[in-house]
Amino acid sequence: MMSLVQALVNGLVSGTLLAVPAIGFSAMFAVLRFPNFSVSGIATLGAFAGYVAYGAGLELVGSLIAAFAVAGVVGLFFDRVAHLPLVKQGALPAAIASIASGLVLENVIRLGFGNDLRGFDRPIARDMHIGDIRVSPQQLETMGIALAIMLAVFAALAFTRIGKAMRASADNPELAALKGIRPQRVTMIASFVGMGLVGIGGMLLGLDSSIDPLTGTRILLSIFAAAVLGGLGSPMGAVLGAFLIGIAEELSVLTVGSPYRAAVGFFAILIVLTLRPRGLLGERAF
Amino acid sequence: MTLLNVTDLRGGYAAADEIVKGATLRVDPGEIVALIGPNGAGKSTLLKLIAGLLRPRGGQVRLRDRDIAGLDAPAISRLGLAFVPQERNVFGAMTVGENLEMGGYLDAAHLRQRRDELFERFPMLAEKRRAAARTLSGGQRQILAMAIALMNAPGLLLLDEPTAGLSPRAAEDLFSTIVALNRSGVAILMVEQNALEALEVSTRAYVLVQGRAEREGQAAELASDTTIRDLFLGGKAQPMLAGNAGGPS
Repeated sequence: MMSLVQALVNGLVSGTLLAVPAIGFSAMFAVLRFPNFSVSGIATLGAFAGYVAYGAGLELVGSLIAAFAVAGVVGLFFDRVAHLPLVKQGALPAAIASIASGLVLENVIRLGFGNDLRGFDRPIARDMHIGDIRVSPQQLETMGIALAIMLAVFAALAFTRIGKAMRASADNPELAALKGIRPQRVTMIASFVGMGLVGIGGMLLGLDSSIDPLTGTRILLSIFAAAVLGGLGSPMGAVLGAFLIGIAEELSVLTVGSPYRAAVGFFAILIVLTLRPRGLLGERAF
Repeated sequence: MTLLNVTDLRGGYAAADEIVKGATLRVDPGEIVALIGPNGAGKSTLLKLIAGLLRPRGGQVRLRDRDIAGLDAPAISRLGLAFVPQERNVFGAMTVGENLEMGGYLDAAHLRQRRDELFERFPMLAEKRRAAARTLSGGQRQILAMAIALMNAPGLLLLDEPTAGLSPRAAEDLFSTIVALNRSGVAILMVEQNALEALEVSTRAYVLVQGRAEREGQAAELASDTTIRDLFLGGKAQPMLAGNAGGPS
C-alpha cells in the first residue's frame, strides 16, 4: 500500500515537471498547426543552457531564464527556417522536418558536451518523510517552480491582451486576422514561448535527475502522449495529460516493471486515438 | 457622398478561377443594400474581395472616396468597414466578453466603452458575457458575430448570409436586429438566401449573376418583379439566370 502511495507521489512530481514542456508543445500545436517534434532537441538544449548558466554561477531562477531564452531563440530560429515554410504543404512535412531538427540539435550538443551524464551541482539535502512517504526538498522546489510557471502561463493566457490574442488565433485564425491580430506575430510569440517552456522543462527534469544529449529524446514520447491525452492544442489538457502520464508511468513500474515504463505513452496514445481522438478536454483551446 | 463604391471588380480564390467578373455596386450612407442571386453567382466572394480577405485582380473599391482595393482585411477594418463571415464568425472557445474584446483589438483605448454600449444594446450578450461562445444558440451566435464586428464602430457592415441555418423565428428576430442597427447609423451590405425577407428590410438591392450585378433597383421594386419572385420564391428559372447553379456562392 505504501509503495502505491509513494508511486502516486512520484507520479505527481514527474507529472508536474512534464506539464511545463507539454504546455509548450500543445500551445505551439494550437497556433502553428503541426506537432513540433524538435522539442526533443530543444528540451536537451534548455537543460544544457541551464547547466552552463548554473555552472557559471547564476542562481536557479537565473539559470531557468537562460534555459528559457536559449531554447526560445533557437526553437524560433528552427521554426522560421525549417518548419513553418513547410506548414503550407501540410502538417506532415513540417512534423517530419521537426524530427530532423531535433536530431540536428541533439548531435550538436553531443559534439559540444560529449555523451557523459552530467548533474546540476546542487547542495545535498536530507529527504523529508511523511509517514513512509519520501520526498526530497529539491523535488518540492522544482515542483514549486513548475507550478509557478504554469500559473504564470495560464494567467498570461487568461488576462493579457497578447495571451487572449494567442487563444483567439488558435481558435479561429481567419477571424483573428480579420480583427487585426497579426498571424505572423502570434506565430512567433507562440514559437518562442512554447520552445522556451520546453527548454525550462528540460532543465527541470535535469534538476530532478541528470542530463545528457538524449535527455529530450527520452521525454519526447511522454510530452506527446500528455498533449494527445489532454487534447492536442489545449494547454489545460496538456497539464491534465501530464499528470495522468506521470502517475501511469510510476504505477507501471510497480505493476509491469521499469523496462515497460516507456510503453505507457504509446498505450495512452493508442487508447485516446481509439476512444476519444479529440483528447480529454477536446477543443477547449485554453 | 457615396459610402462604398465598387466598380468593375474582378477576382476569386485562385488566379485561374475568376468568380467575380466585373461587379459594380454602391452603398450610400444609411442604406441597407441586399445582394441576392443564385448559388454560385459569387455573392460571398464579392464580399470577401471588398473586405480584403481576397485580393482583387481588377477594378476599384472606394470607401468614402479612398481606394481600398488591395489593402488587407485589418487595414480595411481600421477604415470603418466590418465583415461578418457566414461561418466560423465567433471565437467558440472564448467567452462572449472575450469575443468582444478581440473584436475591439485594434482600438484598445475605447474597448470598455464600446463593449458596455454593446451590452446595453444586446442585453443577451451581457447576460452571457462569461459563457463560451460555442454554447450560444444559432441566433445568439449571429448577434455575437455582429457585435464583434461593431466593436470597431464601423460605418459599413458587410453581412454574409446572416440568417443561414436559423429557424424562421430566429431569422425574423435577426432581421429586426439588422434594421435596428441600420437605424442607429450603420449602413449594411447583406448577402442573403432568404431573398424576399432581405428585400423587405432593404432600401435597394442588386441581383448578382455569374459574377456581375445584372439588376439593380429599389428593394420594393425588385420584390414585386415577377422574374425575381419566380426565381426566389420557387418559380421557374428565367433565361437571365439559367445555368448558374453550383460552385462557390
